[in-house]
Amino acid sequence: MTRRGVVIGLAALGLLAALPFVFPVPYLRHIFILAFIYAVVASNWDLSLGYGGIFNFAHVAFFSIGVYGYGILTKLAGWSPWAALAAGGVLATLAAVLVAIPVLRLSGIYIILVTFAFAQLVLQLVVSQSGLTGGMMGMVGLPTFQIPGYNLARDGKLGYYFGALALLVVSTAFLRAFVGSRLGLAIRALRDDPDYAAARGISVARQRILTLAASAFFTGVAGAYYAAYLRIASPDAFGVSLLSLLLSILLLGGLASIYGPVVAALVLTFLSEASVDLGPWRHIAIAVVIIVVVRIWPGGLWSALRRLSS
Amino acid sequence: MSGDALVTIAVSALVLGSLYAVMALGLAVVWSSLGIFNFAHGLFMTLGAYVAWQVAAGAGWGLWPGIVAAVAAAMAVGAVACELLVRPFLGRKDVVLVAVITTLAGATLIENGVLLAWGGRPKQLPPLATGTVNLFGAALSAHEAVIVAITPLILLAVWLFLGRTRLGAALRAVAQNHEAALLMGLPAARLYALAFALAAGLAAIAGIFLGAIRFMSPAMGGDPLLKAMVVVIFGGVARFAGPVVAAYLIGLIEAVSTYAIGLYWTPSVLFLFMIGTLMLRPQGLFGGARR
Repeated sequence: MTRRGVVIGLAALGLLAALPFVFPVPYLRHIFILAFIYAVVASNWDLSLGYGGIFNFAHVAFFSIGVYGYGILTKLAGWSPWAALAAGGVLATLAAVLVAIPVLRLSGIYIILVTFAFAQLVLQLVVSQSGLTGGMMGMVGLPTFQIPGYNLARDGKLGYYFGALALLVVSTAFLRAFVGSRLGLAIRALRDDPDYAAARGISVARQRILTLAASAFFTGVAGAYYAAYLRIASPDAFGVSLLSLLLSILLLGGLASIYGPVVAALVLTFLSEASVDLGPWRHIAIAVVIIVVVRIWPGGLWSALRRLSS
Repeated sequence: MSGDALVTIAVSALVLGSLYAVMALGLAVVWSSLGIFNFAHGLFMTLGAYVAWQVAAGAGWGLWPGIVAAVAAAMAVGAVACELLVRPFLGRKDVVLVAVITTLAGATLIENGVLLAWGGRPKQLPPLATGTVNLFGAALSAHEAVIVAITPLILLAVWLFLGRTRLGAALRAVAQNHEAALLMGLPAARLYALAFALAAGLAAIAGIFLGAIRFMSPAMGGDPLLKAMVVVIFGGVARFAGPVVAAYLIGLIEAVSTYAIGLYWTPSVLFLFMIGTLMLRPQGLFGGARR
């Protein structure tokens, strides 16, 4: 990372840390918490989709597995919320390894279809096991995070705000380290020229499993965090509207950039929350934005901005 | 398992199979000619059902004008969707991914458009025929009997169009070899729009079938699209017979599974089946080479 990058990153972090004290409005914090969570999910998706070139449409299912893992472990198995948070990440990683098995042999559109089918399978299992998951109704009243003597939801969600920010920082640092490592170079080489990369001794199977598993961990943790924050687990976590929002974050931010989706998540979550009252028009607007961005800025806004500044 | 149950399963399999065949054929036509998977296909079905309802029940002009209007409207929207959502990206390296994204966005667009135009209250289409029919001891509605009877005719018509007309041959030519087709002077852009229009028209017919069996809602196309997706994967798109045979087989599997292990587990079985097919034989049961 360049020196200028470090300065910008630290400045942004300082601004976000100061924000809840400058504007002590709980609703603003609520939107930021959601934005941080979506940023984690979208930037991790960028790892498999953008860097790995794996058209993985089961990513939203990893998030939902974190959501339901947290719900079931805390409410039915009596786990502590913190253990369930970590378990959300582990469960999502295991699911990713499972998804990787059919993905290994396939390419292109077949990967999209098999991962899409996997996500649908998980959704159907969740809906059909109503004794465990509450079926279509979902689970409500999930336990929240506590540190001894303090509930994170107090002081206008201040604890949740910093928890989500910390999650985003750790996840982003992990992603940057991953894509900068030899492993990151290997998965990009595989994306750009699979035959050449394989000929140079890069194992397609191992890299794909590792990429999917790495992209799933913080996604699952984010799912568990989301469930602990909203205190619900519902099948909406699998829904097309969340998928569309994440896709638009990814596309607006630009693939293979990590920071792009993070910035886009902040912008789009605000726009999305601001337009809740618009009802169907909101979904129509998001859909139009997606189509226009894909058409006009194939590299996303992040790369368009970078081209402008250089 | 009693004889009655067997007949009930067989009849249910035929009705489901007919619906899936009409739905999946359109998906297969688009996939084989453009090489993309159209996630907006379910919404062509929804749109067809609502236009038919508007003309038949809303305006009171009767079902047949409704059917004509529905197919025409769906075909027009299909061609426009192709122009806006798919064709601009056809040359791009990541067209497969982009098409998924843009057709998903298109689906959101149409679904919410339908919601704005007709509201979320459930509606129902008048059936194609009234009364019940007795088939080998199982009673099914006359509407379902008509579906089972005319689906083979629709499939035959599409087969004749693709196989016996110049336009159909041109469509297959573009599907098989894009560059060669262009060199022969075929208007690829218009043929792609035609493939989409044909698919959307078929989806609209499926919507009219379904709209009188279940209640219509803006989200009604989602489930049939997923089933058609399973069908297309299972049968492959290399041959005309692939998705058609697969549709009836999947209908049979669904009917047996619903009877044996219940409605809730059946979708899981179908998706497991789809994943298994992709792992063992991604080109589909009847596929030759993959595209």
